[in-house]
Amino acid sequence: MSERSVKHPRSSVARFHWMLPKGGEVSLNGPQTPRDAAHYRLASTRDGSPAPVPDIPGWTHFGRCAEEAGIESLLVSFSKYEPDPILVSAALGQTTTKLKFIAAYRSGLMKPTSFVQQINTASAFMPGRLALNIVAGSSTEEQRGYGDYLAHDERYARAEEFLEVCHSFWRDSDDVNFDGKYYQVDHGKLHTPLFADRSIPEIYISGHSAQAEQLAVSKGTCLLRVADTVENLKPAVARVLERGIEVCLRMCVICRPTRAEAIEVAESLLPRDDMGQYERSVAVKNDSQMYREASEARDMWLSPLLWKGFVRYYGPVWTTLVGSFDDVAGALLEYKAIGVTQFIMSGWPELDEVKTFGSEVLPRVRRAGA
Amino acid sequence: MSLRFHWMLPKGGEVGMLTAQETSRVLTTKSTSKASLPDIEGWLKFSRCAEEAGIESVLMSFSRYEPDTLVIASALGQATKKLKFIVAYRTGFMQPTTFVQQVNTLSGLIDGRVALNIVAGSSAAEQRGYGDFLDHDERYARADEFLEICHMFWRRNGEVAFKGDYFEVETGQLSTPFVAPDRSSPEIYVSGHSVQAERLAQRQGSCWLRLIDTPENLVPLVERNREHWIEMCLRLCVICRPTREEALDAARALLPDDDTERQERNILNSSDSQTLKQALAKADEVGWMNENLWAGLVPFYGSSAITLVGSPHELAQAFLDYKAIGITQFIISGWPKLEEMVIFGNEVIPLVRDAESSCKSC
Repeated sequence: MSERSVKHPRSSVARFHWMLPKGGEVSLNGPQTPRDAAHYRLASTRDGSPAPVPDIPGWTHFGRCAEEAGIESLLVSFSKYEPDPILVSAALGQTTTKLKFIAAYRSGLMKPTSFVQQINTASAFMPGRLALNIVAGSSTEEQRGYGDYLAHDERYARAEEFLEVCHSFWRDSDDVNFDGKYYQVDHGKLHTPLFADRSIPEIYISGHSAQAEQLAVSKGTCLLRVADTVENLKPAVARVLERGIEVCLRMCVICRPTRAEAIEVAESLLPRDDMGQYERSVAVKNDSQMYREASEARDMWLSPLLWKGFVRYYGPVWTTLVGSFDDVAGALLEYKAIGVTQFIMSGWPELDEVKTFGSEVLPRVRRAGA
Repeated sequence: MSLRFHWMLPKGGEVGMLTAQETSRVLTTKSTSKASLPDIEGWLKFSRCAEEAGIESVLMSFSRYEPDTLVIASALGQATKKLKFIVAYRTGFMQPTTFVQQVNTLSGLIDGRVALNIVAGSSAAEQRGYGDFLDHDERYARADEFLEICHMFWRRNGEVAFKGDYFEVETGQLSTPFVAPDRSSPEIYVSGHSVQAERLAQRQGSCWLRLIDTPENLVPLVERNREHWIEMCLRLCVICRPTREEALDAARALLPDDDTERQERNILNSSDSQTLKQALAKADEVGWMNENLWAGLVPFYGSSAITLVGSPHELAQAFLDYKAIGITQFIISGWPKLEEMVIFGNEVIPLVRDAESSCKSC
């Protein structure tokens, strides 16, 4: 494909993104301990939690702090427990000026034509500041709640078609025709263009399966996966880079002046009961390769800094980099050295951690030339 | 209850436009039209004027030529305080679960100032561009299932399970609620003139939205819908000037050249919409439907161009006549796009409100 060379400009500077906190998580009424923040997030899927309600004041405050901290984008996640990421991004695009948004969406929940119409419209309110995180699906149970009954592999085949149709609209919006197994479009036409300095938005594809990697290579700009050790990632990263796209790591971070302090915070977050264990268990996410791998790993410390103590309770995205400012900066530089160019972080509380990260870790990374 | 007045949000670039010729659909469907571009500045100006004019909501239309309505409302609602948004959307373009998640999110982003205008579909050609290959009647059957599922989510009465011809949902659950000061689900305007549209409004909507007609013609329709506890909302245009003569002059000045008519006819003829067919027949047969109601612009600008023409007193009386037969809501547009709304807010609404307050039974 001729556009490949312009589609994936390799970042020379590492790019740091952050998770958008849950609704109400950014407390504007005083300090939270890491444990408060973790509990709030864990309870966010329970009945009665205020987390599913959009929180423009809290999110705007967080967004402005993230901008100041040098964070490039916020990832707005998608699940049945949360508000819609496209609309949240469109609204927050109005209350921030520089920050980008990576809106997560699952293919199969709407027609690709409607999806492109929404994305293009949202981009007009935030030109050049909207990217996508396309997810093929989630647990079978959650997918059925959305009326989706396909199995894991078929969901990837459908996502491939979904993005193929989207790409067609972004390339030529005036006459799109597609006749696939999952989608048919006959003389599709959309007049609202994408507002960006590129014809197709950046597309992060997440997942650990071979299908996810294939989808990222064929239709995305970046493979998004959970952090692992440098040694474990090295061959996979090399393979993906070779195939022409970037790699972005999803991880949590606890950085403190000393390693001992960071470890103390990490241990304070371990649950005293089984909260979250069922919700995030492999039984629920039964066809996700990412969850299966996470449940099979035995050691708590994957490396001196990378801790998976939370994973069995809270799921693989709670894989956490724990250490001093120098430790964490050093670890990120090692990832950069093997070719990882982007990172999506989160912490407890999000607001405190993003500020610390911006003032202590990022300058160290930048000074080292990454 | 006071009459409720809503207005059409002008399409992108239209806020400054003065005439129907400039805003004709023949122009807005061209790929070079500004109608495709979100007009943030123009819309903010228009929205603030609407709030000042006493307009309750703006209706945003949905088509492949325009930006997405749900997204616009999310962004525009950040910059307005009071105005509600009636978001038009077509069933069949997303899963009902996804749709409810978006609508609920929108309600949380803009303090519940959201209502829906549900449309079963548009021309077959436009629908196929969205991947929808059902015919007119089937689209209504699907819309019924779609809204049935939406209502199940809005009732928040446990997990949603549904098995129909078009949709299937199991263990459906959404945490983000619909939030509004006074409602747990949005008002739903269902538009269309077909039997199926009316039945859908009765079964799943809160209001049937249709084109204006004479009060005499509407009486039986209002009667039969009263039994179903839904309201009726009329879509119309207005031309209001200090005197009837001036209003008639302004109306006639909106008649375009022949070329627009020919192109608009092509659009009208290619549609399988009952609404369009009925409106066009009215225009061809009668022109003036009564003293103030004029269908003369329909052949040029489409079915929604049936227009109430007259002085402020004539128009206020016309609205009170509709109120007397049981119509409660109106969605209006006019030319110039912005000024006509300001005139209406200054000249007509106060007369209607005066009459309403002096006559409690009106």
